[in-house]
Amino acid sequence: MPEIKVKEFDPELLPDMLPVYYKRLFPHKQFYRWLSYNNSLQHELVFDIDLTDYDDVRTCCSEANICNKCWKFMSVACKVIDVALRDDFGFEHILWVFSGRRGIHCWVSDKQARQLDTKGRGAIADYLQVSMSGGEGSTTKVALYDKQHHSIKRARSIIEPLFDEIIVEDQDAFGTTQGVEKLLKMIPDENCRKDLEQQLTSSMKDSRTVWSSFKGYFESLRVRSQLKPKLKYVVEEVQMAMLYPRLDINVSKATNHLLKSPFCIHPKTGKVCVPFNPNLVQKFDPINVPTISLLLDEINEFDGKRNEIAETPEDKSRIKDYKKTSMFKGITIFEEFLRKLEQSLKSQAITISDKKMDF
Amino acid sequence: MDFPKKSKIKVLKSPDEQSLDTLLPHNCLFYILPPMIDVSLKDFEDLAIERLKLLRILEQAGVKHPKILSDEWKEHVINELNIAGLKYFVRLLRGNGNTEQDMNARRRDYLSHFILRFAYCRSEDLRRWFIAREMELFRFKFSSLSSKEVKEYVELYEMGYRPISEDQKQEVRQELQSSVLHNIDGIDFYKVSFLAVLDLVRQRKCFLKNGFAYVSSMDFSIGVTLEDSLRFWREEFTKTIEPDKFDKSYAYGIRYNYGKEGSRTNWSPHSCMKVINTQGTSQDACGCPFKLWDASELRTRLVNYGINPVNVQDVISLATKGHFQIACSRYFELTHNTKLDEGISHPNGYFENSQILMENREPKSKTPQMSQQNQRRQHAMTQQQNFKRKLEARVKAEHDYDEELWKLSEQEEQRMAELKSKEKAQIEMELSQLESMDWDDDDDNVKELSDLM
Repeated sequence: MPEIKVKEFDPELLPDMLPVYYKRLFPHKQFYRWLSYNNSLQHELVFDIDLTDYDDVRTCCSEANICNKCWKFMSVACKVIDVALRDDFGFEHILWVFSGRRGIHCWVSDKQARQLDTKGRGAIADYLQVSMSGGEGSTTKVALYDKQHHSIKRARSIIEPLFDEIIVEDQDAFGTTQGVEKLLKMIPDENCRKDLEQQLTSSMKDSRTVWSSFKGYFESLRVRSQLKPKLKYVVEEVQMAMLYPRLDINVSKATNHLLKSPFCIHPKTGKVCVPFNPNLVQKFDPINVPTISLLLDEINEFDGKRNEIAETPEDKSRIKDYKKTSMFKGITIFEEFLRKLEQSLKSQAITISDKKMDF
Repeated sequence: MDFPKKSKIKVLKSPDEQSLDTLLPHNCLFYILPPMIDVSLKDFEDLAIERLKLLRILEQAGVKHPKILSDEWKEHVINELNIAGLKYFVRLLRGNGNTEQDMNARRRDYLSHFILRFAYCRSEDLRRWFIAREMELFRFKFSSLSSKEVKEYVELYEMGYRPISEDQKQEVRQELQSSVLHNIDGIDFYKVSFLAVLDLVRQRKCFLKNGFAYVSSMDFSIGVTLEDSLRFWREEFTKTIEPDKFDKSYAYGIRYNYGKEGSRTNWSPHSCMKVINTQGTSQDACGCPFKLWDASELRTRLVNYGINPVNVQDVISLATKGHFQIACSRYFELTHNTKLDEGISHPNGYFENSQILMENREPKSKTPQMSQQNQRRQHAMTQQQNFKRKLEARVKAEHDYDEELWKLSEQEEQRMAELKSKEKAQIEMELSQLESMDWDDDDDNVKELSDLM
């Protein structure tokens, strides 16, 4: 993939650019394939994760802004949800899409998922919803007990190794007085909280030291068997509360909530909603997602070069326009998703016709 | 097949019986195909009334003993069925059997189900009520099956569920054990589509793999009403206290109030006076807020609830002068934009009035007996509205019942009541006559009854 040049996007020019985009670049053919499931009324099971829901734990940016450090929250969320959907629920046809600005969307297109009723969607959403938030401004909490569901254990095994890098280092979460306060708030015991407060606020420390003294404090209590049962998992609870995926659960529960479709142009950023590979989500770069302005330049540039080399029009038309641009990768992922989906539809059809032969 | 000549149900003597019986392979029926036989108008009516009685008994049992399938609940249902003369249903609630009495009971169960289904299919409310009661009935029947009978049952109806082999179980042993609440050893697990057990999925109470849920035959019939209410309280309370502490300090209390622990009394709730006079601190999650919160806390809360500042002052001055109940009534009037005839003297009263106003309805013509019962059934916590709401919903649903069937059943009940008051002895005689007509195994029934006592 060529080095992408970040081109300034001007929302004023969007109305002029959109017709060209939809005429030359938007993958209509693939879309038609995607939408022609069974001619019946269905809705994919969808998930929406937005970085604004992480505003209390991210320090690098806030609100609509996004950087590569923030993206790590999305990366963790994508991994936790993706593996649960595949391993626990047996879904296979899952499309992950960058939402164009600061979030990600997940479309589950398995037949069973498309046919789910509200109750089924609600059950899956609740199954995946672990952290509790008391609402605006309150701290997000996760409660862990001795008995932990296998999905919780698996989420922990994804989250815990990344916690230091994302929260302690990148976000420098406990490097400020407010950060330490937030951490202390998450301790569900007043005495311990006061105890630790003295230790942690006596002198200004960096994020890493604070986190290790936090862990050390509870570890030493545990060793001396003075750790109260409710504090047994306090370290893990903090990790889960800060990194467990924060789903916009109502989007998944109902079928009337619409998501922006893949390959739309985000009206504010001009970025394309490109699909990405969940296995390589950590390598996805949300900053350099192609904008509509860049893409149009790319086709023009390509066509210009081509015209110089070969003037034959047939030759030119053989190369699909999107292949000339940095949207190429996103479309390849989409096509791969469609290919597998169509394959499963075909094999289902074969099984059905086989069954009919028996009679 | 040979039927006892004494049987008074003519419908069952039709030539279609034989084919009918093939539709009824088990005491725990799936009502898959509707009956295709002639039924006399009288039998049709009788069967409908009997079914309605049965379902009403289930409903009342649920009000009295909120935990469906608890021992108390079961006992209540069985006692009431016996009193109502519906002994054949009792038979169906005791596992499977293949005697002539079982067959007879199945036929009545089957026919009456379809007759009442017919009557209750006409509106969403009726359907919902009917299905909820039928579900309770089914769960009762199913829960009485032994583990062997469950296995047979699953095979009989070709549900495609097989208990997983011991090897398969060992393969997923760790995940399985950490994902279910009870011990997994020596228990059959079935592999079913997760869609079949959404309630377990929602609560993360079953092991999921590849779209299949691993559930035990216990999970099939676990009643969740009490669990639901515990969860509600836990969620409400953990806004201020930690989950662990809740389990330790409050869960017992709630079970106690439901009559599940200690002296097992179903306690009545405290009145406002009692709540106010009980010691408590503002840190507690109970007590009268107008007494416990100081003026500044009260002000913050009231402003947050969207009360206009002038009125906030009004409420606060009442509260600081010690007129907690008047302050409460004033708050009620403000939030409901109304005028109360009489002040709030009981938390339940607050809730009831609120419900009535929210639904913009007049107080329903509940019989006084009903509301008294409801009162008695309330438990002691002040924040018990959730449960109360469920009761209210049930009472509300009652209004939408099919009126004709109601009249019929009420007439029938009235008749029974009159009979009772007139001549007990005569009833007993009549009943014994009825029974000897209905049943060949009177002795058997007597024995079952005495088992119950």
